[in-house]
Amino acid sequence: MKKYSDMEFLRLSKGQKFLYKLLRFFASIPGAIGSLFLAIGRFFKDLGLRIGQEFREIVTTFTGGDWKTKTSYFVMGFGSIARGQVLRGVLFLVFEIVFIFYMVVAGGHWMSMLPSLGKVGPHEEYSQVLDAYTTVYGDNSFKILLYGVLTVFFIVAFLYTWRLNVKQNRISEDLIRSGHRLKSGKDDLRSLVDEQFYKTLLALPLMGILIFTVMPIIFMILVAFTNYDGTHDGYNNALFGWAGLKNFNTMLSWSGGGNVYSATFGEVLTWTLIWAFFATFTNYFLGVFVAMMINKKGIRLKKVWRTILVMTIAIPQFISLLYVSKMFAKNGIVNGLLLDLGWINQAIDFWGSTAHNALLPRVMVIVINIWIGIPYLMLIATGILMNIPADLYESARIDGANPWQQFTKITLPYMLFITGPYLLTSFTSNMNNFNVIYLLTGGAPINASASSAAGSVGYTDLLITWLFKITTGAGAQYYMASVIGILVFVVVAVISLVVYNVLPSIKNEEDFQ
Amino acid sequence: MKRVITLLLALMMVFALAACGGKANNGGSGKSELAGTYDITVWCPDNEVELRKEMIEEFNKSNTDGITFNATVENVGEGDAATQMITDVEAGADLYNFASDQFARLVQANALAKLGTQAAETVKSGNGEAAVAAVTIGGEMYAYPLTDNGFFMYYDKSVIPEDAVGSMDKIIEACEKAQKYLAFNAGDGWYLSSYFFGAGCVSQWSTDKDGHWNINDDFNSDKGLIAMKGLNKLQSSPYFLSKSGAAEFDAGAAVVMSGLWDYSAAKDILGDNLGAAPLPSFTVDGQDYTLKPFMGYKFIGVKTQTDATKAAALHKLAQYLTSEEAQMKRFETLGWAPVNVNAAASDAVKANPVVAADMEQQKNCTAQGQVNDGWWNLAAALGATAKETDDEETLKAALATYEEGLEKLKNLREGLLFVGAWNGWNNADDADTYVFTGDGDEKTLTIDVPESDYMGGRIVNIGSWESDKGFAQVTTGADLIKDLGADNPDNNIVFAEAGTYTVTINTASNEITIVKG
Amino acid sequence: MNELREKRGMGLKASRTISNTIIYILLVLMSIIWLIPFVCIVLQSFRVESTWQVGYVVPKQWGVDNYIALWNSDFKTWYLNTFIIALVVSALQTVIVLCMSYTLSRFRFKIRDGLMRFMLILGMFPGMLSMIILYRVLKDLGLTQANAVPGLILVYVASSGMGYYVSKGFFDTIPKSLDEAARVDGATRAQVLTKIILPLAKPIVIYTILTAFMGPWGDFVFAKYVSFGTSSGMNVAVGMWNWLTPDMINQRYTMFCAGGVIDALPVAILFMCLQKYYVEGVTGGAVKG
Repeated sequence: MKKYSDMEFLRLSKGQKFLYKLLRFFASIPGAIGSLFLAIGRFFKDLGLRIGQEFREIVTTFTGGDWKTKTSYFVMGFGSIARGQVLRGVLFLVFEIVFIFYMVVAGGHWMSMLPSLGKVGPHEEYSQVLDAYTTVYGDNSFKILLYGVLTVFFIVAFLYTWRLNVKQNRISEDLIRSGHRLKSGKDDLRSLVDEQFYKTLLALPLMGILIFTVMPIIFMILVAFTNYDGTHDGYNNALFGWAGLKNFNTMLSWSGGGNVYSATFGEVLTWTLIWAFFATFTNYFLGVFVAMMINKKGIRLKKVWRTILVMTIAIPQFISLLYVSKMFAKNGIVNGLLLDLGWINQAIDFWGSTAHNALLPRVMVIVINIWIGIPYLMLIATGILMNIPADLYESARIDGANPWQQFTKITLPYMLFITGPYLLTSFTSNMNNFNVIYLLTGGAPINASASSAAGSVGYTDLLITWLFKITTGAGAQYYMASVIGILVFVVVAVISLVVYNVLPSIKNEEDFQ
Repeated sequence: MKRVITLLLALMMVFALAACGGKANNGGSGKSELAGTYDITVWCPDNEVELRKEMIEEFNKSNTDGITFNATVENVGEGDAATQMITDVEAGADLYNFASDQFARLVQANALAKLGTQAAETVKSGNGEAAVAAVTIGGEMYAYPLTDNGFFMYYDKSVIPEDAVGSMDKIIEACEKAQKYLAFNAGDGWYLSSYFFGAGCVSQWSTDKDGHWNINDDFNSDKGLIAMKGLNKLQSSPYFLSKSGAAEFDAGAAVVMSGLWDYSAAKDILGDNLGAAPLPSFTVDGQDYTLKPFMGYKFIGVKTQTDATKAAALHKLAQYLTSEEAQMKRFETLGWAPVNVNAAASDAVKANPVVAADMEQQKNCTAQGQVNDGWWNLAAALGATAKETDDEETLKAALATYEEGLEKLKNLREGLLFVGAWNGWNNADDADTYVFTGDGDEKTLTIDVPESDYMGGRIVNIGSWESDKGFAQVTTGADLIKDLGADNPDNNIVFAEAGTYTVTINTASNEITIVKG
Repeated sequence: MNELREKRGMGLKASRTISNTIIYILLVLMSIIWLIPFVCIVLQSFRVESTWQVGYVVPKQWGVDNYIALWNSDFKTWYLNTFIIALVVSALQTVIVLCMSYTLSRFRFKIRDGLMRFMLILGMFPGMLSMIILYRVLKDLGLTQANAVPGLILVYVASSGMGYYVSKGFFDTIPKSLDEAARVDGATRAQVLTKIILPLAKPIVIYTILTAFMGPWGDFVFAKYVSFGTSSGMNVAVGMWNWLTPDMINQRYTMFCAGGVIDALPVAILFMCLQKYYVEGVTGGAVKG
């Protein structure tokens, strides 16, 4: 499409300007996607170059190195110890010994089982004497996968450390050749609280993240390629094995009658996006509005209002939301009150509506989410509103702007600029807002057309609650849940990427400092 | 220093003692090979916990085998117990309660220990045919009937006149007049299927141990349409409440369709006004159909064990806990209806009006066998559609969708495939999938094997990649396929040359016949 | 001229009174809506005449029976478990989050940007599925069922590094010139953190402690996995969750309300007391995390 110059742009009417911006945005999408692929390509090219370089360096270090360096290729840390850096050397050596010991004792076993995920399943035995059946267990696919992944982690860590050890030798040789003194163990320790203090600080948190966040995610991704479910639990009833892309096929195929999952996925995804949009923006604008009301000059008891509203943050959701869902039941307090007042003459089925008007429960969860969400936004907005320079308003007033104009011209743009990143994260976390949906409706009312897909999907189910229902429901198809998990990731990542590239305030992290 | 050593010694002693206590102390001075102390975990619903503890104590005292159970009784309800067991059988309880709708699932998950010959005899002699059938899969028994699990009608005598009790229409009329609700959980297949069975439909399911389903279901028929219309009529009343649970009496309901587990709550709320009766009839196009509910059971199951002695001891305990005396005790303290034939026939049981209504309902019910778990979703969807509309075409379409769903459930476990990876397993693009067809045990399939590098494939169940049928099972036509020897751990069938082949499998004997042309 | 100004002033004043009145009405209405559910829960918890859900709010017969019943149930154990978890987690998690966020705010090292992007991507995976595998890992370590408390602490703390955004945002607002001045004076990086930055970061420290303390009181999904049917390893949420199953709700509903009140009490009180810091933390950090 045509790109206007500044002058041409300014001449456009307000509506035209908006349309122009919108069109420009969509026109830029193909380019953005193209550059994404370019970036990915560049990444792999760089990676290839890097690896080649590493190998070349490993070889040259060996051929050009002295005997201490050469020995270090086999006995890690030898060079460091021989050159007086005992602490480093011993650490390298200990790591190598631990690694070899682990691989011999356990790691090798797990790695060898990884391709098959186990060979011997459980079987039943009967004891004549005792007249009782017992189960004799065989391999454990779950553990094979788990420890297999951990062993791969360990091997990667070992290769990295080994490379570090080689590099260390080269650096030491260079330093000695140019007549410098090598760092002592004491220097190393000192640097850990100074220049390299970040290593000390990050060691523990990153270790935790690696084992308790990264590893489960990798495991989860792998499960999507297996047939792990309630009747193939890998140990107790049957082994599970690799299933290739079969589960993705089931989920995404549109052909013939096999589209139960893809159709259901489409429906649930659409609602998830609608929900996330409304949940984010209703809370946002109403939260700002409430903050402005409370902060308005001349309003008394500011602290009291604020305290009342933040009750919903302070009280665990599993109590407050569960209770609210009971209040809106067909024979709950709300209906009782409305009937008594004579405003309605038959109870409203807030949660139990069907396809006919799945709209009502959907609106209800969004409205109740406002109840939960406004207080956060009110707190955040309060802080930001106070930071808006007062002279901006002063000059606007002099120019004769009315309060509404002040809001749209000053407050809102300022808020949006500052809270852009927050909006993005709250959009994605709303997509995964398990609590509100699970506690309020549990996904109800049931979606009759999706009844063949696992997990009994309802009209208010988000992808995340559907996933949970699958893992606890009939058959416990973990593999299907994993596929959904991966797809959720893809959707969230695409949205974030697009927004990340459009929003100005995320990119320039340093600007704020 | 001295104190530290003392402390260490003390700690070591504690550990040593703990280690001794933890082990099953078999052999001792007991009278049978079962004698010993066993640490076990038991799951049962909240209201049974105290009674269960007492009963286990009594068992410890009274059994003649010298068995002592060191039991931890935890409060885990029936529904939750099954879900938990399937999540992790290993960590689950050794003895647990569950309802019949979870039975098939638990057997498939290998969470129930098979009954030995003596135990099976005890169950057969103490229970009616229906109860025995409900714990049997593939000719083997897996659990002990504890109480029945069905529903009937509780009502408020002050609202529903005696002559209205038999008819749904009259009940709704009375409710509307009094502005009171009628509670019937039409969002749950377990309840709403009573309309279908009432209209004369059947839904019979049977499985073998591998979970292969054989379904005889005619919901998608004129009879099913009648049930759908009935469900629509019920749900379109403004005084209809899609719930079950006696607490609804306190929230404006005059009628609640529920089971014996709600007895005490209903009694508390309504007092002398509490009435109980079998389910009423519904009227469609001027004709009456009496609701015919599922009647299931609650069972006690023993978890699969690795130690035969412990398993045998646990089966003894389970038999004790479901004996005639134990069931009578539960009837007296908790109001649970006994299923043991002798206990059920006792005068004390017959004298209780609510339990009597339950027993009366048992005469008009559909024995709940095992169904595939996916069925509950399908059935619930029927209720949801019937709520939406009374349009005949839409109702019919919903029934057709239901039947499609059934087919899928059936195929889910039964489908047998041949996956031909013509150019080897790393070359998925050239793979073809063929479905075996045929009724009964014999399944046949015709394969066009193209001229290619590998020309081999694998016979698998849908949803699984373990090939228990393949090269090793070929009895006729072995000369048409290659013998790969030890290189064939996956039991692949690799054809010697391209061409058209007919493969036949006998699923009972696992024999495979291959014929060329 | 004078007259005119006066007139305008009057108009302004009048319109301000009107708009303020509207705002007061709105605020009162909102307060009522916000408080009703909590008032209802409290009222129900004092209901004696029945234990199930009813269609009215004000009890016909008042009493503390439900609280006594709580005292006689396993609730004490659950409460103690939750309290221990909340205390330990809030202490350890604060240390970890602060280490993480301070480092990412102040240090510029080679893998920093890659690390932050990596964690951003990690955060996009739904955590729901990780629970199954984390449960198995804990089980292998012997930290489930009766030992669920240390197990839960381990998982909560170990994965807490991911939640660094808010406090990093806060650290970003503390001028870097302060660090540099101290460095020039010869302080090590560690000293800069403990002597200069931490005292300034009081709001965010308290914010982190507060949020970490509040988390465990409401976790019912993962905690349910880990306790796996063992009452002595449950937290309040899991224990009470069982009371809402269909076969128990009729006997336990009012107890659930009473439990809810007791469960929410420490968190709510703490939150109200430390609200000021929470606001500072949220506005200082969340906005630009």
